[in-house]
Amino acid sequence: MSLRLVRIDDRLIHGQVIAVWLRALGGKRIVIVDDATARDEFLREVLTLAAPHGVQVEVHDVAAGAVRLMELAPSPEPVMVLARSPRTILALRQAGVPIEVVDLGGMGAGPGRKRIHRTISVSPDEIRDLQAIEKLGTRVEIQIVADDRPIPFHSVVSGE
Amino acid sequence: MSRRLAALGGCLTLVLLLAAAMPATVLGAGPLAADAAQAPVVSVSLWQAALIAIGYYLANSCWLFGVAYFTLYRPLVAGFIVGCILGQPAEGTLIGAAINVPYLGFISAGGSLPVDPSLPGWIGTTIALAGHMSPASAIAIAVPIGLLGTILFYGRMAVDPIFAHWADARAEAADIRGVALMNWLPPQIFLFIISFVPVFLLALNGPTAVQNVLNQLPVWATNGLIIAGGILPAIGIALTMRFIFRGASIPYFFIGFILWTTMNNPATSSDDSRVLITIAVLGVALAWLHLTFAPAAAAKVEPASEPAPSLATETSPTPPTSGTSGTSPVTADAERVRVTRGDLLKSWVLWTFFSQANYNYERLQGTGFAHAMTPIITRLYSSPDEIRAALQRHLVFFNTEPNFGNVVHGAVIAMEEQRANGAPIDDDSINAVKSGLMGPLAGIGDSISQGAITPILLALGIGLAGGTASIAIGSGSSGIPSVSNATGNPIGAIVYAILISAVIISIGYVAWTQGYRRGRSVVIDLLKSGTIDRVLVGAGVLGNLVLGALAARFVVAYLGPTVTVAGASLNLQAGLLDPVFAGLLPLAIVLGTWLMIKRISPLWLVLAYLVFSMVASYPFFGPDHTTSGDPAAQYQVCTSALLHPYYPCGAPPVATPAP
Repeated sequence: MSLRLVRIDDRLIHGQVIAVWLRALGGKRIVIVDDATARDEFLREVLTLAAPHGVQVEVHDVAAGAVRLMELAPSPEPVMVLARSPRTILALRQAGVPIEVVDLGGMGAGPGRKRIHRTISVSPDEIRDLQAIEKLGTRVEIQIVADDRPIPFHSVVSGE
Repeated sequence: MSRRLAALGGCLTLVLLLAAAMPATVLGAGPLAADAAQAPVVSVSLWQAALIAIGYYLANSCWLFGVAYFTLYRPLVAGFIVGCILGQPAEGTLIGAAINVPYLGFISAGGSLPVDPSLPGWIGTTIALAGHMSPASAIAIAVPIGLLGTILFYGRMAVDPIFAHWADARAEAADIRGVALMNWLPPQIFLFIISFVPVFLLALNGPTAVQNVLNQLPVWATNGLIIAGGILPAIGIALTMRFIFRGASIPYFFIGFILWTTMNNPATSSDDSRVLITIAVLGVALAWLHLTFAPAAAAKVEPASEPAPSLATETSPTPPTSGTSGTSPVTADAERVRVTRGDLLKSWVLWTFFSQANYNYERLQGTGFAHAMTPIITRLYSSPDEIRAALQRHLVFFNTEPNFGNVVHGAVIAMEEQRANGAPIDDDSINAVKSGLMGPLAGIGDSISQGAITPILLALGIGLAGGTASIAIGSGSSGIPSVSNATGNPIGAIVYAILISAVIISIGYVAWTQGYRRGRSVVIDLLKSGTIDRVLVGAGVLGNLVLGALAARFVVAYLGPTVTVAGASLNLQAGLLDPVFAGLLPLAIVLGTWLMIKRISPLWLVLAYLVFSMVASYPFFGPDHTTSGDPAAQYQVCTSALLHPYYPCGAPPVATPAP
C-alpha cells in the first residue's frame, strides 16, 4: 500500500502539506489529480516548483491520474495523492485505484458548503460523493494535520 | 485529540489554582514548606498583572504590524517583557529563553495549533520570576500551561466565523468601511476579553498558587521538575530537526553539539553568549563553504527540466498581469483609473496589520484579504454594484503565509486595476490566481519563515540571552538551584525581535510590490532562480550547527545511581559516561526524541516526559528521605534515583555515603 496519504484539499500544496504531512510521512512523490489544474500550464509549473528539494510533483487529470496511480500503487515507494474534490477521488476509486483511506484535509467555506469540523466544509453534492466513496469500501476520515486524531466522516455527517 | 488534551491542561491549571486557595494545613504542609520559604514569593500587583495580561493579548492581536506572532508570541520576548514589568529584565529573559526551547520547532499552519507557546511564555515567566524558580523548573511548569492556551485559540477560531458573516452583511450593503471594521473591531474585542481575563487572574494568583503546591512536594518531586526541565527542551529541538536535520547538513548538528560541550567551561558559565556567538560565526563560514563546494545541493534542476522550455515567464498565457504597462487599450489613457503608490502602500499596511485579525475556521484570512483590498476597491470602483461584487469576491476563504504570500495580493491588485479599466478579467480568473497561488506560496513561505528563519534566529537569541538553564548549584542549604545564580542578558530578546521583524516585514513588502509589478509570473522566476534552495541549504548548515549547540546546552540529564563494583562505589555518570563523552545521555535523548516525534504527537511526548521525569527522580535505589532538608539526605535522594537534576550531585557530606 504505497498511496500513503490520499487527501482532499482545496489548496492542494500548502503549509500543512509541505511543512507537516510531508515531514511526518517522509514521501518523495506527490501526485496531484485535478482536471482544471492539469489544464493550467502556469499552475502546473508553480506546483511542481513549490515542493521542497528532492520531492517530485506530478499533475494529472483524472483519466491520466487513475492510470498513473494504478502503476504507482504496487511499488513500495510512499506516494501522497492530492485532489481538490471528492468527485475526483470517487472517479479514481471507480477506476479501480486501491485507496484505503481518504483524508479530508482542507475544504474551505464557500457558497453551498456547510462547516462540519474546524476548517472542513462540505456541500450536499460532496456529501453524496463521500458517502459513495465509503460504500466502495474506502474509509473517509477528517484529519487536518498529522498530529490530529482521524475522525471518521460518517460520525460527523450521519443519515442525510 | 488536541482539544481533549487542552481540556486536560485546563483542568490541571484549575486544580493547581484550587489547591492554592486551600489553607496549607489541609494539604498537610510538611517541614519542606518552611524550608522552601527561604525565597518568599514576590507578589504580583494588580497593575503588573494587568500589564502582563495586556501583553499576552498583544502577542495574539493584530496591533504589531504583523510581527506579534514572531515576537511577543515567543517566550523569549515575552519573558523579557514580563521581566521588565516585574523589575527583573535579565532574569525574565533568561527564563523566557529556557521556556522557549521546547517551542523552538513550533509551526502553526492553516489554522492548526499543535501547542501554544504564548501562554507558557507570559504566565510561565511570571510564575517562575515571582517564585524565584530555576529556568529548568520554569520549563516544567510552563509547558502544561500551554495546553490552556490552545483552548483560547480554538475558542477564538470557532467564534470568529460570526464576524465574517457580519462582514458579509456589510458587503451586501456595499459598505466598504463596514467590511473593514468587521474584520478587526468585533474579533479583537472578543479576543481581548478571552485573553485578558484568564491571564490577569493567572498572573495575579498563579505564582502563589503554584508555589503553594510546590511547597508540598517532597525533595524527589522537586527534583523531578528540574529533570523535566532538562529533557523537555529535547522536544523543541527534535521538532526543529524535523525540518533541518536532513541530508548533507546532518553532520553540522553533531559538530555544533560537540563544539558546545568542549568550548563551554562550566567554571565560567557566564560566557555562554560568547561561545554561542563563536559557534554562529563558524556556522556562517561553514554555510558559505558548503554552498561553494557542494554545488549539487544548491542547484535544483529536477522537475523544472521537463516542462516546455519555451515558456517565457513574461508571457503568461491567461490574462496579462503586468500592472504598469498599459497593455489593454480598452480605456483611453486619460480616463484610466489607476491604483496610486499610496493605495498600494496602504493596502499592504492594512494586510500586514489585519491579515489575521479575524482568523477563523470558516474563512481563515478571508475577511483580512477583503479588508486589505478596501483602498483598492475605493479607488477603482464607484457604483454600489461594482463595490458589492468586489467586496464579495474577496470575502471568500483565503489562507497563505502572510509574507511570501503577498505576491498574490500584488498580482490581484494589478488584475483588479485592469478589470476596472475594461479588460476582460472575470471573477474566475481572479479567483484562480488567489486559490492557485495561496497554497504553494504558503508551502514555501511556512517552510522558510516558520520552518527555518524563525527557529534559527530564535536559537541565536536564546543563546545570546545567556545564563545556564539547568545548572546553578549550591544556592544555599537546600541545594535547589536558584535563578539568582544564573545571569540573563536582555540583549538576546531585543536582538532577536529586531532581526526577525526586519526580515519578515522586508519579505512581505518585496513580495507585495513584486507581485503588483510583475504579476504572478514572479513566483516562477523566484522558484526557478534557485535562490530559495540556496537560502534553505545555507540556513540548514547554520541552523544545524546552532541547534546542536543549543541541544548540548539545554538538554540536561545525569544518571543518578552509584553502584558498588568489587567493593568500590562507582557513580554511573561520573565513572562511566563522563569518561566516554560527557554529553552522551543528552545526545541520546535528543536523537531518541527525534525518532519518536515522527510517530508520536508532541503533546503526548510532553506529558510522557513529565511523568517519566517524576518516575526517574523517585529514589528507588535507596531510602526515601522525603522530609529532611539536611545535606546528607539531599545527597541520598539525589544518587538513589535513576536520574538526578544537577551535577555533581552535591558534595557527599561524609566521605562515603552509605550505599
